[in-house]
Amino acid sequence: MIRFSKLFFCLTIVLILLWQLPWCYAFFAAKPSKIPFTLYSGISGDFISMGQVEGKGMQRRNQSGQVYTQEQTDSLLPFFYVRQLVSDERFPDTIMGVAVTPRKVQQTNFSFRVNASDINAAKVPLYPLMESLSGRVDLIMPEDVFRITANGIEFVRMKSNSVDEGKSRQFTDALIKKDFRFPARRLAGNPTARKDYDEGYLILDDEGKLFHLKQVKSRPYVRAIALPERLNINYLFITEFSDRKTLGFLTDTQNCFYVLNNKSYEVIKTGVASYNPETDGITIFGNLIDWTVCVRTDEAATYYALAANDYSLINSFSLKEEASTIRGLHFTSSDDKFVKPRF
Amino acid sequence: MNAIFYKEWIKTRGYLLLAFVTTLGFAGYAMLRLNRVVGLKGAEHLWEVMLARDTVFVEMLEYIPLLAGVLLALVQFVPEMHRKCLKLTLHLPYPQLRMVNLMLCFGLLSLLLCFVANYILMFSYLQAVLATELYARVLLTALPWYLAGFAAYLLISWVCIEPTWKWRVLNLLISVLLLRIFFLSPAPEAYNAFLPWLALYTLLTASLSWLSIARFKAGIQD
Repeated sequence: MIRFSKLFFCLTIVLILLWQLPWCYAFFAAKPSKIPFTLYSGISGDFISMGQVEGKGMQRRNQSGQVYTQEQTDSLLPFFYVRQLVSDERFPDTIMGVAVTPRKVQQTNFSFRVNASDINAAKVPLYPLMESLSGRVDLIMPEDVFRITANGIEFVRMKSNSVDEGKSRQFTDALIKKDFRFPARRLAGNPTARKDYDEGYLILDDEGKLFHLKQVKSRPYVRAIALPERLNINYLFITEFSDRKTLGFLTDTQNCFYVLNNKSYEVIKTGVASYNPETDGITIFGNLIDWTVCVRTDEAATYYALAANDYSLINSFSLKEEASTIRGLHFTSSDDKFVKPRF
Repeated sequence: MNAIFYKEWIKTRGYLLLAFVTTLGFAGYAMLRLNRVVGLKGAEHLWEVMLARDTVFVEMLEYIPLLAGVLLALVQFVPEMHRKCLKLTLHLPYPQLRMVNLMLCFGLLSLLLCFVANYILMFSYLQAVLATELYARVLLTALPWYLAGFAAYLLISWVCIEPTWKWRVLNLLISVLLLRIFFLSPAPEAYNAFLPWLALYTLLTASLSWLSIARFKAGIQD
């Protein structure tokens, strides 16, 4: 027994050293990330990076190394700096041959951001389904939430903590009618009243078929979305951007990135080479003409410029990321919200 | 066994009663606060906040089990060491390691009783106002905190039993670092997959006390 306790004590010391020494090194030798904020400028046809350069302060430059002033950058990125240009009375009437107004630009601009830690986290499988067509300007949170079981969809009234049998049957029947197979494999929504409109949820059923579910005038709206041949959807994201052009983003099992258009329910493959939501972070800044997509992995940040009309690739470049941690025992990670040992 | 348990009970009954009432009081207060939110803003608000944010409304309980475990170890073993009672105990005609194991077992069972009472209280209230998914989230999020209570008890007992100050300080440092593992993330249910391994490791920390007992028996002292 004493031999066991000695062994256990030694093992504990080794584990503590493996955990604490890399942590101490990272704590004292940590350097800020050198990946600059980058956007694609359709006007110059190049990416413009903005970041601190040692000894030079804030620098704005394109990929060829040409340095721009703040005013030049404002003009090269008129969609991003729209408010500044309006304030300086420099906002143009047309950008790249497209007639624009500040209001139109602000309505079509969007940003989208998902980190791996948003995906790799314990979530509560209860979802509020808002009324999409209430007739009111402001959205309101519903009085119930739903769960999807192996047999159907179940609405639970929050006030009484009881199942609403009638509504559950109504929605289950609507889903079954559209050939939905329970339970759901994945589900994506944006359950907040702080948005312009509600598009409900995108749901992947047990057979990998994609559905759109929302509540319209207290009735279920279910749409089975036709997917291209051999497309195995893996992750779903609902967009609900103010221009209502897109309904969601999708990734498949090969880590290809797709856009699901609103109304037409057309699924279009984008020029993004690879995005794995479980390990990578994605940031998208979109406007009327083009989108700047940044896919950040542990090794590199890859920037893609996509055409806003067909999501084809215009340009791309990659920046290597310096390793910020050294090998050892870690219990937490920036890629997830779990505590577990990982070597 | 009964005699050892009785001896430990006589020594710690005052503290155990206090720990039982205090931990239960904190758990009850957390439930009262939840009830107040339900009363003022409705159950819907409680559900919405729990679904939208990483909160479980019982964060105030985080360090209570840890404190209960630390204090129990101090109450149980500091008098033993101070009055040199442990030396007498170990001279009784009973295997020494089994004796220490029974003393630790008494402490663990007392804490278990205390913590189970906390869980019964929380479960009774939460299952009435929250869906299964939500109250399971609350109870699972609190589980590493309660496990830290057991770990704190075993580790601080190890520190107390150690006969020399030099090793006592080292043991304390190791204990603090090990206890830190239970509080690395505030995210709800962050420990779910790690909990069985953490529970096993916690139980194995009982074996560390055997080292101190061996050193104590060998007559090593300051």
